[in-house]
Amino acid sequence: MSLHRFVRDIRSCRVSVRRSQIASTAAIYAMLTPTFGLLAVFSLVPFVWAFVTSFFDYEVGGESRFVGLANYTEYLHDPTLLSSFGNLLFLTAFGLAVVMTAPLIVAKLIFSLKSERARYLYRVLFLIPIVVPGVAGMMIWQGMIYNDTGLLNETLRLFGRDDLTRGWLSDPRTVLWAVVFMGFPFAGGINILIYYAGLAGISESIHEAAELDGARGLMKFFKIDVPLVMSQIKLLTILTVIGTVQGFEGMFILTKGGPGFRTMVPGLWMYMNAFSFQRMGYACAIGVILFLLILSLTVLNMRYFRSSEELTAEAI
Amino acid sequence: MVIVLGLAAWALWPRQAVHVGGAAQELRSSNPRKYTIRIAPGIYMPGRRPQDLGKPLQGFADVATEFEKRYPDTRIEFTEAPVGNREYLITQLAAKQAPDIINVNVGDVWQDVQKGWYVAFDKYLDQPNPFIPKGDPGSAHWWDQFKYQAISHSKTAPDGKMYCITYDMVETGIFYNKTMFKRLGLDIPRDWFEFIQLQQKLKAAGIVPFLADKSAIADWGLDLVFNQLYGSIIPGIKLKKDKAREAHLGGFFDWDELAYLNQKGYFTRRDPRYVQVFRILKAWRSYFEKDMSSDDLTKMFVTQKGAMYWTGSWEVNRLVRDPDVGFDWGLFYLPPIPRSFNRFADGHDQCVIGGSGTQFEVTNSAFDDTNNPETSEKLKRTIAFIQFLTIPKNVDHIVNEILCFLPNVVGAAPKPELIPFDRILQRNFANTKWLYTFDLRFDEILRRMLDLYLNDGISEREFMDWMETNVQTGCDTIVRRKQIDLSKFDARWNELAPLRAGYKELPSER
Amino acid sequence: MRHRGGQILLHAILIGILSLTLAPFVFVINNSLRSNSEMNHAFFGLPKLGHDLFSGYRYAWEVLRPYTLNTILVCVVTGLGVVFVGSVSAYVFSRCRFKGKDSLFLAVLAFMMIPGVLTLVPSFLWVKQLGLLNSHWVLILPYMAGGQVFAIFLFKSFFDGLPGELFESAKMDGAGHFRLYWSVVLPLSKSVVAVVAIVNILGTWNNFLWPFITNSDAKYHVISSGLFLMNQSNVSSNYATMFAAYVLASIPLLILFLYATKPFMQGVTSGAFKA
Repeated sequence: MSLHRFVRDIRSCRVSVRRSQIASTAAIYAMLTPTFGLLAVFSLVPFVWAFVTSFFDYEVGGESRFVGLANYTEYLHDPTLLSSFGNLLFLTAFGLAVVMTAPLIVAKLIFSLKSERARYLYRVLFLIPIVVPGVAGMMIWQGMIYNDTGLLNETLRLFGRDDLTRGWLSDPRTVLWAVVFMGFPFAGGINILIYYAGLAGISESIHEAAELDGARGLMKFFKIDVPLVMSQIKLLTILTVIGTVQGFEGMFILTKGGPGFRTMVPGLWMYMNAFSFQRMGYACAIGVILFLLILSLTVLNMRYFRSSEELTAEAI
Repeated sequence: MVIVLGLAAWALWPRQAVHVGGAAQELRSSNPRKYTIRIAPGIYMPGRRPQDLGKPLQGFADVATEFEKRYPDTRIEFTEAPVGNREYLITQLAAKQAPDIINVNVGDVWQDVQKGWYVAFDKYLDQPNPFIPKGDPGSAHWWDQFKYQAISHSKTAPDGKMYCITYDMVETGIFYNKTMFKRLGLDIPRDWFEFIQLQQKLKAAGIVPFLADKSAIADWGLDLVFNQLYGSIIPGIKLKKDKAREAHLGGFFDWDELAYLNQKGYFTRRDPRYVQVFRILKAWRSYFEKDMSSDDLTKMFVTQKGAMYWTGSWEVNRLVRDPDVGFDWGLFYLPPIPRSFNRFADGHDQCVIGGSGTQFEVTNSAFDDTNNPETSEKLKRTIAFIQFLTIPKNVDHIVNEILCFLPNVVGAAPKPELIPFDRILQRNFANTKWLYTFDLRFDEILRRMLDLYLNDGISEREFMDWMETNVQTGCDTIVRRKQIDLSKFDARWNELAPLRAGYKELPSER
Repeated sequence: MRHRGGQILLHAILIGILSLTLAPFVFVINNSLRSNSEMNHAFFGLPKLGHDLFSGYRYAWEVLRPYTLNTILVCVVTGLGVVFVGSVSAYVFSRCRFKGKDSLFLAVLAFMMIPGVLTLVPSFLWVKQLGLLNSHWVLILPYMAGGQVFAIFLFKSFFDGLPGELFESAKMDGAGHFRLYWSVVLPLSKSVVAVVAIVNILGTWNNFLWPFITNSDAKYHVISSGLFLMNQSNVSSNYATMFAAYVLASIPLLILFLYATKPFMQGVTSGAFKA
């Protein structure tokens, strides 16, 4: 009799476990629906459309003609190809160099302050630039600093170096540098906060241990702080790469890729082909190429850039 | 926190919306009318102050009110839709969302005519304008109303139809600082030699001799200098004789003619005239402002840092109304290039084919009541509105409210300050408008490479490489798109051979 | 670096960098109060008193006021939507085991890498088909679709760091996944929620191209496209008005910012921001 009840209990137990398992799986899929639903409708459909269009010669509102891989091979011979990707390389490299140094240094400086109030105050103040529309920032640099009667030129004239004045954004020799230097000193925004959080997460005991070993000042910074904020560095690196490779609004507003094609980037050329030149298929091909590029770069980044957890594990 | 929310609520509470257009708009009745015609009038937008000078505009709103009185079932709504922005234009037209009447350049229209986005005016233009009293121009054919027939006709699209009503005219001119000239003892140049000398003197005096935007040079500069150097050989290379346009546009080259000539070696580095065009432009550039992309040119002219300013008639509005302008100014045009300056030139006067400042097109939204232009009532009213707009009285009321453009309608005289432009418009027009001939990709490359070349960004050899490829690609693309058979010109080409025998230094035929 | 002299040096450097960073914005405010002709004559200079200092502001406000409500509505709804959808999915990816979890997660991340321009036209044609043009939804839904990816990423990092014991005890009580999410995880994530919401709002606030082409009806315009329109219209040459517009456009964010800094900073420190 007890065996009978025992078996019955186990059976009902198994049933209820299975039921809860099914309920659990159902719950999982239900909870994932909004995300995948939205993604499918608003992200996947347009992407698939664009991918398919890249194999056609298509004008918005006009007819389309299947051309297979012709758009892709044409891009390989495009006159802007070299300058576009060269610029992209430069912009990404510069962007990475900046994001890995300036905000980190400023974060460290703030972190080293004694007064808690001061630390808080500085963090807030450095956040202010994110409140201003990005366009406004660019217009300021374009219309007040780089233009003919702007800050740079007027300062040169003040020092009597009239010969060095120029249109910084229209001179082919200076334009690329002018574009990357916008936003100097590159310390505004949330990057500082991100690094600060990383620094704050390093426990006191590690610092003390390092000091006992004789590490001081700068050396301590490089040996301890930097590796331990590697996770943050990695995150910002990925975001910077994704942002730079895709990005084009900046160029669009400032230089439209000029003078000549000196500041052309693939994103902008894609945009121009889609809207100005009516070559939607070609533009889509460029876009797909960019997507593959970003994807591979991100995968590389995730694989080879070691996170701070791993570095800590190694150190121990 | 509460205070902030309170303030925000007060500030943002939706008030009774004050429509743009000022008083006239508010008078508009609130009873729903059946048809709403949306129009994007561009610079004439009621309630706005163009260039931030003068009083808010009223003219268009007045005319709209008049029209609404005659058509009680129609309402006119003004919008500032940015139709000048290409991505906006394309997306809205593709979605049939654009305003019913818009004002865009022919370049934009011609690219897209085959898509059914615009309504052709031809059948209306051949009919009378119902609002014109009998006997006046326009009472027999609407076409007769337009003053500058050549330019108005030149807006004919590649498919032979007319999609633009040219409302007003703009022309370029060289504004110069009369006070400064007098002070330095300078005169208006009569030809290119004197022009260069004049600029040299100004440069020596520490003033920027000539202010020109890089767009101005790529567009007007190119066409004018080109015309000067090719003028004398046109009879030998002009392949088409379009009787209808001959009266207005003698010697204008269409894309098919240019494509054929390109095949024969013209407009390549083996065409000495072509190379010379750019050399002249480059030599001239040394007298311009340092930064040709500068936005500050008007500022430089107004603050007397520059002596001459090549811009359009719209600048008159600013120069007359801006209280900061403290000098006398005058107007002249680009002087002809004499043979003594360049062996190809023949020193004739000309001007660029001006555009209109404003041309109206009717979009596919205008027949969205029935989706069929043949049966659409809304379209009828839209066309009627445009016809109403072209009554001389209305044109005068709208166009002459600002000192920017000249009315294109017989019976509406331009303002006195703009009359010099009228005189310029009487000249012969240049034979090319390179930036309107091919496609936007061609334009993009031409502008950019010319900019680089003029600013020592690339060598002449590299520049000619780009130009050759660009012209060739432009020709190939358009031949492919329009499926033109260029061999149709062979006969005429051979006919003209004797004429060409008398010319020197033509590109050798491949 | 705790000595007195060291501290002063630190402050000096920081103040230097800070001034360089904030200087352009000071210029903007300064110039928004001057008129065009003043700027024509001397680019740098204090506003001349005696003329209508706020004319630019009045004009800009008249244009931007109706757009502000729209922008706030869209941004807030998107922010909340993204928080909810993102955290739910992040919870699932972080705490549940099921087949294909890793590949699904990678797929989601991959969406972050699609260039925006590529999908601009197809998205437009597609939402037109769906009949969403000229509404608030045409902004909210695609923004949510895009913004949730980053949110999922952040939330997942945070959830991964939560100790397992929290869940064990609740599971013992027989809680299903949704209960776990709602009563255990979400209350703990307040600061990350704040961060996600704020980052999202910042992103959607300044996005202009999409609203620009999808909402041609002025009733639905947002601030950023309003600014862009102003830039394209005839007032673009009036710097005072344009700068006043930029200042006005920044004010709502500034207000948000004043209240949100603390939770924001807490959220960033919570350890969610790493890869």
